[in-house]
Amino acid sequence: MMTGGEFMKLLRIENHLGQFLTKDGSYHIIDEITKDNLLWIMERVLDSTGELEPYDEEKIKNQAHQVVYKSLYNNLKALEERRQEFIDESERLYLEDYKKYVEDASQQGGARDASSH
Amino acid sequence: MKKIDLHIHTVKTAIDSEFTFSIDSFKQYVTDLEIDVVAVTNHNLFDASQFRMIQQEISAQVFPGIEINLGSGHLLLISDGADLSSFDAKCTQVSDKIRNVTDSISVEELKSIFGNLSDYLLISHYEKSPVIKASDFMELLPYISVGEVDSAKKFVRTMRDDEKLCPVIFSDARMKKGMTKLPMRQTFIDCGEVTLSAIKSCFKDKGKVFLSKQDGNKLFQIFEDGQHISTGLNVILGERSSGKTYTLDRLSNSFDRVKYIRQFDLVQKSDEDDEKRFNSEVQRNRSRFVDEYLSGFRSIVDEVLKIDIDKDDKDISEYVKTLLKSAEEADRRDAFSRVKLYDELLFSISSNDGLKDLIASVIHLIENTEYRSVIESHVQLSSLKSLAVELIQKLWAKTDQDRNRKHVNSTIKDVKDRLRMRTAATHIESTDMYELSLNKRKISRFNEIAQALKKEGIIFDEPVQGFRILASKGPFTQASEMSSAIKRQAAFKEAIVAYDNPYAFLQVLKKHEKIDGSDIHRLFVRITYRIINKDGSDVSGGERSEFRLLQEIKDAQNYDMLLLDEPESSFDNKFLNKDVNSIIKSISKEMPVIVVTHNNNVGASIIPDYVLYAQKSIEDEQNKYRLFSGYPTDKQLVCVDGNKLNNHDILLNSLEAGIDVYDDRRRIYETVKN
Repeated sequence: MMTGGEFMKLLRIENHLGQFLTKDGSYHIIDEITKDNLLWIMERVLDSTGELEPYDEEKIKNQAHQVVYKSLYNNLKALEERRQEFIDESERLYLEDYKKYVEDASQQGGARDASSH
Repeated sequence: MKKIDLHIHTVKTAIDSEFTFSIDSFKQYVTDLEIDVVAVTNHNLFDASQFRMIQQEISAQVFPGIEINLGSGHLLLISDGADLSSFDAKCTQVSDKIRNVTDSISVEELKSIFGNLSDYLLISHYEKSPVIKASDFMELLPYISVGEVDSAKKFVRTMRDDEKLCPVIFSDARMKKGMTKLPMRQTFIDCGEVTLSAIKSCFKDKGKVFLSKQDGNKLFQIFEDGQHISTGLNVILGERSSGKTYTLDRLSNSFDRVKYIRQFDLVQKSDEDDEKRFNSEVQRNRSRFVDEYLSGFRSIVDEVLKIDIDKDDKDISEYVKTLLKSAEEADRRDAFSRVKLYDELLFSISSNDGLKDLIASVIHLIENTEYRSVIESHVQLSSLKSLAVELIQKLWAKTDQDRNRKHVNSTIKDVKDRLRMRTAATHIESTDMYELSLNKRKISRFNEIAQALKKEGIIFDEPVQGFRILASKGPFTQASEMSSAIKRQAAFKEAIVAYDNPYAFLQVLKKHEKIDGSDIHRLFVRITYRIINKDGSDVSGGERSEFRLLQEIKDAQNYDMLLLDEPESSFDNKFLNKDVNSIIKSISKEMPVIVVTHNNNVGASIIPDYVLYAQKSIEDEQNKYRLFSGYPTDKQLVCVDGNKLNNHDILLNSLEAGIDVYDDRRRIYETVKN
C-alpha cells in the first residue's frame, strides 16, 4: 500500500493517538479495531504493502491506546519478522501438485499417457 | 540321452511342509518316468544312512547332495559320492549353522566348509525363487554349472539367451507316502557315462541339454504316460466329448502358473450386466493410474482436513475482544497486571523444515557420483562442503535458540498463569498470527487446486490392442454420481450444494457420517472411463468380448502356460483370424500355448507347432480316452500306447466336417466363383 512512493503506515501514532489503517485507506482510533480490520492488516504485513510505526509509550497519552497499540504492534512485528519464512513456505505449499493439477491442466488439458506412468 | 532329476527331497526339514518319506514312491517315480540319474538334496541336511538305503533300492544312479540356504537364496551342491563320510561331515557343519527357516550361511562359510567348490556340481536357483542375491551369485559363478528354472517356458527362454547360464529343470519333489501325481519336471542330457564330471562337462554345452529325449527343446513331457506337447503352439482337435477339455483340466491341475481361459468365459450373457462387469474390470485394472494421479490431491485433502478454521476465527476474535476489554481497564490495573510479563508475547518458533531440506539438497549434491563432473564444472566440491557446514551450523544455532525460546516461553507462561490467578484484570488471549495466515493460504491453494482438478480433461489415453481406453475427469453434476465414485451408498444431496466451494464442501464431507476419510478426495472430481474402438466410437457388446479376450491372452504373459478352450464359441471368424491368431502365435513364441478348437480358422490357419487329437472309444464296455499327437506335417499322429491315426483325415474331419463336406463346399465356392 503506497501513496506518493511511500509505504502506508498500517499502525501509526498521530496527535498522541494510536491509529490503524483500514481497507478504504482511512485511519481510525486504535480502540475501534475489529477482527476483520486486524485480518486485513495481517495480510498487508505479509505482502509487504505497509509498515508499522513502532510503539512509543511517550507518544501515546491514552493508557487504553497504549495497551492496544503495544499488543498489536508486538504481535504484528513478530509476524513481519517471519515474512520471508512465510513467503518461502507459501511458495512451497503443495507446489508439485499445484504444477500437476493447475499449470499442466491449463497448458495441455491435463492429458497424459498411462503407459508413461 | 539320459533323463536326470538332481533336486529331490527325502527328509522333512524345518523348511518343508509335513510329509513322510516313502522309498516305494521314489522307486515308482524313477521306474515309471524312466529316470536315469537322481540326486538327493534335502534342505541343509544330508542323511547318510538313508542315502545308502536309497542307493541300494533305486535302479537309477543316485548322487548325494544338499540344498543350502545361501544368503537369501537356495543353492544345490552335489557330490560325486566318492567319500561319503567326508561329505556327511561337511553337511553336518551346514546343519549346525542352519537350524531355523530364516538361518543361512554366507559364500565365505560355504567355501570354508566345502573347500574347493570345483569338486562339486553347483546348481543355483535361477529363474526360480528364492534366487541367490546378485553379489553371491557373481562370487560363485566360476563354480556354478547350471541354473535351475521351474517351467518349460523359462527353460526355453533361458536356453535361447546367450548371456544366460544353461538351464535345467528338476522336480524339487518330496518322495512321500501317498504320492498321487508324479512330477513332470526333468532334464535330458546327451551324456554317455554317468559320472559327476561327465554331467558337469555336458552342462558346459547348451547343445547337450534338452527338455525332451528325441525332440530337443521343441517338446516336453506333460503326463506320466509319456505324453509330450510342444513348448510353442499346440492345437487339440477332436469330436464333442472326446476329452479335449478334460485334457486342459489335467494340464491346469498338473502345472503351476497356468492361465486357463475356459469356453464361454468371455461370452456376453446379458447386455447390461456385461457392460457393467466390463466397465468395472477396466476400472479395476486402471485404478492404479487414477490413484497415482490423485495421490497428490489426497495428501492435500488430508492436510487441509487438519485445519480448524473455526478455531482460528474464534482465536482472533477472542484476541481482539480481550485486548479491547483489557484496554478499557488500563487505568484500573493492579500490581499484578502491571507486571511487564503479564502482557508479554510468547516467542513464535518457526519450523526448521526448509533449512533441513536445504541441507539435504546440498549433501545430495556433494554425495552424487553420477553427475559429479557436471556439478564440479559449476561449483567446487570444497565450496559445497563449506556451504553444508555453514547451513548445518545455522541449524544448530537455530535449534539452540528454539530450545531457549521454548524454555523462556514456558517460564513466561508460568508467570502469566500465576499473575492471572491473583488479578481481576482481563487477560489478553494469545493468537498465532503466523499459523493462522498460513492456514488461510493453505485453504486458498486447496480451493484453487480443487477447482482446477474439476475441469474437464483426459487423465490418460491408453492404446490397447486396437482399442483405446480413455480416463476423463470432470465435475460431478449429480449426487448419485458421488455414491458410485466411492462405491458406497451415501446421501450427497446436501453436500453437493456446497460443491462449488471446495473448502466448504470439504467441511460438509468431513461431518458426513457415511464417508470414510480415505475416500474424501475422490468426491471432488468425477473420473469416467470409455473404451473406444478403431472408429472412435464406444465399443459394442461383441467388441467388449473381443477386448476381454485380447486382455486375457495378454495377461497370460505373466504365467508359464496358456490354455484356451474353443475361442470360436464366443467370437466370429474374422476376429479370430485377424486378431486372435496373431496374438496367440506371438505369445506361443514365449511359452507353451494349448488351444482346443473345432474351427478351421483357428485350427488350420494358425499353423500350430504340434497337433493333438482327442479320441473317445468304448473298449470292454468302458470309455477309453486317447490322445494322438505329432507335428502338423507328420503323416500319422501317434498315441503313447502305439496306436496311430492318419493326420490328414483328422484335420478334415475335425475342421471341415469330413472330406465329403469339404469337397461339397469347395465345389460350391468354385461354382459361385465361376
